[in-house]
Amino acid sequence: MNSHGDHKMPLSQRPEWSDVTPVPQEDGPNPVLPISLTDDFRETMDYFRAVYLADERSPRALGLTAEAIALNAANYTVWQFRRLILESLEADLHEELDFVDVVASSNSKNYQIWHHRRWAAEKLGAEATSRELEFTKKVFSADAKHYHAWSHRQWVLQALGGWEDELAYCQQLLEVDIFNNSAWNQRYFVITRSPLLGGLETMRDSEVSYTAEAIISKPENESPWRYLRGLFKNDMQSLVNDPQVLSLCLTVLKAENVSHVFALSMLLDLLCHGLQPSEELKNAIRALTSEAGPPGSDLARTVCSVLERVDPMRINYWKWRKSTLPSQVV
Amino acid sequence: MEDSPPGSSPDSNSPSRAESFDRDRHVFFLQMMYQLMPSQYQGQEINRLTLAYFAVSGLHILRSVDSLHKEEIISWVLSLQAHPMNEDLLNDGQFYGFHGSRSSQFQKIDNGVWMSNGSHLASTYCALAILKTVGHDLSVTDSETILKSLKNLQQPDGSFMPIHSGAETDLRFVYCAAAISSMLGNWSGMDREMAKEYIINCQSYDGGFGLTPGSESHGGATYCAVASLQLMGYIEDGLPSKSASSCIIDVPLLLDWSLQRQAADGGFQGRPNKPTDTCYAFWVGGVLRILGAYQFIDKTALHKFLLTCQSEYGGFSKLPGQLPDLYHSFYGFSAFSLLEKPGLHPIRVELGIADNAAIGL
Repeated sequence: MNSHGDHKMPLSQRPEWSDVTPVPQEDGPNPVLPISLTDDFRETMDYFRAVYLADERSPRALGLTAEAIALNAANYTVWQFRRLILESLEADLHEELDFVDVVASSNSKNYQIWHHRRWAAEKLGAEATSRELEFTKKVFSADAKHYHAWSHRQWVLQALGGWEDELAYCQQLLEVDIFNNSAWNQRYFVITRSPLLGGLETMRDSEVSYTAEAIISKPENESPWRYLRGLFKNDMQSLVNDPQVLSLCLTVLKAENVSHVFALSMLLDLLCHGLQPSEELKNAIRALTSEAGPPGSDLARTVCSVLERVDPMRINYWKWRKSTLPSQVV
Repeated sequence: MEDSPPGSSPDSNSPSRAESFDRDRHVFFLQMMYQLMPSQYQGQEINRLTLAYFAVSGLHILRSVDSLHKEEIISWVLSLQAHPMNEDLLNDGQFYGFHGSRSSQFQKIDNGVWMSNGSHLASTYCALAILKTVGHDLSVTDSETILKSLKNLQQPDGSFMPIHSGAETDLRFVYCAAAISSMLGNWSGMDREMAKEYIINCQSYDGGFGLTPGSESHGGATYCAVASLQLMGYIEDGLPSKSASSCIIDVPLLLDWSLQRQAADGGFQGRPNKPTDTCYAFWVGGVLRILGAYQFIDKTALHKFLLTCQSEYGGFSKLPGQLPDLYHSFYGFSAFSLLEKPGLHPIRVELGIADNAAIGL
């Protein structure tokens, strides 16, 4: 990061800074929560204060902001000043993105870095699109659930475009890890917002099939269950009437040695919204009750009782659900 | 650390430290931090007020804030407030709140040039939270300036920017604006309807909230959303069944998502299929408390999990067996307060400070 060898030469010993008088931090008489600062930190920030107060927008000031960022990337004042310098110097923002690549490689969980990146990409416009999409991909190869990177990627798509391969990319990430909730969320983002697809209702049938397959392979995976529910957002009636959804629940409930929690929970919601259970469904639930429940007792109550047993961590929740079932539920 | 002689315990079968909440050690940990933060925290120097909030409010939850010099704290916090040079400047588009530390505070310099101020919404929230915690009367604070200039930070979509010179906008800063307005008892600095719309747009298909519209549901973002709605008066107190039917957000789905965040090891995760982490015991636990559904969690399992993150040096770590840090320690204490641990102050969840600080006792 610096041209002064392994041990960074103190600024006070660098000839190019000899004309600058550092401005020490005035902490006042009784500072609360003092932080033990390293000499390097203190000196760098003292010089930063000097160039900031002098409003020196020079190449050496730009270099100094890089050193200050390496020490405290959270310092938004330093980043802000860096942007002023870049604008004054009419710097090449592609090079600036190179700089951010390096900073992010050691410390990417920091809001300032991503805000700065967005600032540069926004100025570059469409020519930054593919670079930004590639950059976030690289971040995901190390951490596929990186929150900042996903926010950035969504911003890139909405502001600059590049939707063409996004659904395929989500697919690829889910093939690597079907439990990746961030990839499921991105999938939802794409099918509901991509200008190239027809929107949620157009995509629904094929997405239900895709999701059902994912669920059958891992019924204990919460993410596709939630996604499935999301495909029917604000349209509970279609969810209740969808034959694929019901048959999926049945398949999972009949399977042995798998978690039934999410299937039961989905079924409970369907029943609460008016699903009329078939004999097959009743039998499948009956098979899950350990003791022979009172015959004829309503199915939603039975589902709650099974949930109390198979999901004991939330036993109080399922009991409460049972006590608040709508009266018309069968 | 062996400060008590062997056998001094009244019952040799009493639980070891790892099996109970070690309040005294936590107080010691915070007091050490308060005296001098180690240099690992220098990267957070700009957020010193936030670090101070964790230490002071943490000591308060542990009922040990009296050990601090309150007048010193008050004058230090007030010294970080930004003031416009004159009334006209209130309309200059800047935000006049609190600086996170001296390093973003540049006063008028010799030649009379006023350097633009770097006050920040999160720092302002922390400043007011500290002042309330140490019993400072906020009505004597220059709150007009804060409230009038707060308007400059609200965006057309209802969200807030944390500093006027430009930064990311998301639910965290909607929360800060709501908490600031609530603590100052004055909502003239924000358009609540617009903020509400933004929050509604952040509720995801799964019931949780993402930091921005379209982003993945997240425990921290969900706290910001629900606490803001509560502070702004859009969520009724009481049982979830009461608030569910007429609420502006999908409460049943939110409730189900939040309860599902308690994982098999008893701890809370911030997102589905992610590891559990100390801080979500507060973020998600707090959401459930606000929704009137905290009694649905498995408290015994959570208690056990949190103790695996309790450090032998005092404080809490993010994950079991790691070194403690100030942030996770504060949220560990807050989580134990939610669990109604004896000896801790009850917490006003939606404000992130102890109850008696919130009402000004």
